Amino acid sequence: MPSAASPPINGDLPRQFASRDALNTLLAQEFPEAEGELSPIRGGREAAENKLRRIDARSYAKSRNHLNGAVTGLSPYIRHGVLSLPEVRDAVFARIRNRDEGGKLINELGWRDFWQRMWLDLGDGIHHDQEPFKTGHDAGAYSRELPADVRAGTTGLACMDGFRDQLVSTGWLHNHARMWMAAWLVHWRRVHWKAGADWFLEHLLDGDPASNHLSWQWVASTFSHKPYFFNRGNLERYSDGHFCDSCPSANSCPLEGSYDQLENRLFAPMPAIRETGNNRNQQRQRRSSGGASAALARPKR
Amino acid sequence: MTFQRPILWIHEEALGANNPALQAWPEAPAVFVFDTCWIQDARISRKRLGFLYENALDLPLTLRKGDVAAEVLAFARRHQADGVVSSSAVDPRLEQIGEAIDAELPLELLDPEPFVELPRPPRLGRFSRYWREAEAVVWEGYSAAR
Repeated sequence: MPSAASPPINGDLPRQFASRDALNTLLAQEFPEAEGELSPIRGGREAAENKLRRIDARSYAKSRNHLNGAVTGLSPYIRHGVLSLPEVRDAVFARIRNRDEGGKLINELGWRDFWQRMWLDLGDGIHHDQEPFKTGHDAGAYSRELPADVRAGTTGLACMDGFRDQLVSTGWLHNHARMWMAAWLVHWRRVHWKAGADWFLEHLLDGDPASNHLSWQWVASTFSHKPYFFNRGNLERYSDGHFCDSCPSANSCPLEGSYDQLENRLFAPMPAIRETGNNRNQQRQRRSSGGASAALARPKR
Repeated sequence: MTFQRPILWIHEEALGANNPALQAWPEAPAVFVFDTCWIQDARISRKRLGFLYENALDLPLTLRKGDVAAEVLAFARRHQADGVVSSSAVDPRLEQIGEAIDAELPLELLDPEPFVELPRPPRLGRFSRYWREAEAVVWEGYSAAR
């Protein structure tokens, strides 16, 4: 481990720790207002390189939408510059035999670059609705506060409470889990995306305001042509039924239903949109063509 | 602008050895400051602070906490620095901190290596528009390496 180029003086934070527990104790003393414990996910170059070595672009392309799929877990390291985007791009290039194998993963790196460019463009504008909601509900219809049961992980939905627990204990969530949680909070619980997005940033090790806020806006429909939503079948499929098997709400699941049924339940009619026949048909086709397509084109957070 | 004795301000977008300021001035004293206002206002959890801390420990940095601009300027005085070098940031909060530093002592910002260099700024607004222009350029790097 390097030492600082500058001899320490009073007020410098320590660089030597006997253990990770000692770092945890130091942080508790120096930042008493910061809640929780350390994440099991370690910072630093070595941890980042371990993950970089394990990149499997082919498996990633096939399984990325599954919670147990071959996702890279690189986002926290990229976000803080431990790994640069060009470095990860070149690592992918070095591991693939042809362009097809790396297409999906390179595409996701493109998303990261896109969000950063949007942030440069919009500045603090990312904190505000980019466009009106396309849900038939006015922005004022969404609660500005994160509900207490969501924050505490006591909603009674095994999936959402499970995602909350992982978020709070590890600071990382699979992108699909982020999207489900965002969609559920905004469309089912009618909470404004900003309340959820800010809460995510309290915890996510990759907490990037641009990726995070604009992706929440994408789900909410204030940064897309239509709201993103899902149903129980989609969640069950990509989580291998893991949550539903033990869910106390399994017999009264609010996520249960066809996409058409849920659309009618969640959204108010929007005459302007319903009159544009072409858009409407495309939307139906994409949504009704099964679980896979419901997630494949979605942005990564 | 060429400094004789700069210090480096390392911020949370560039906590890696490829930070252009560290690469340009490997011997210069460097500092990372935990922004106590941001931590409090955004209710940043200990997990995130620990992750930043562990990243920072990998680099030859002095670690401080407090008002970032004030701490960076104090660090500059401690080393009788004639300027501050850092990497350009995307976050407007870091940009504002840079402006506050620059009001007292010249700040030079170095650009990190870009993911893709486009002949003209791409159209944003939706990912598909950007990617239509960027994708082929990104993949030129792959063809070149074959």
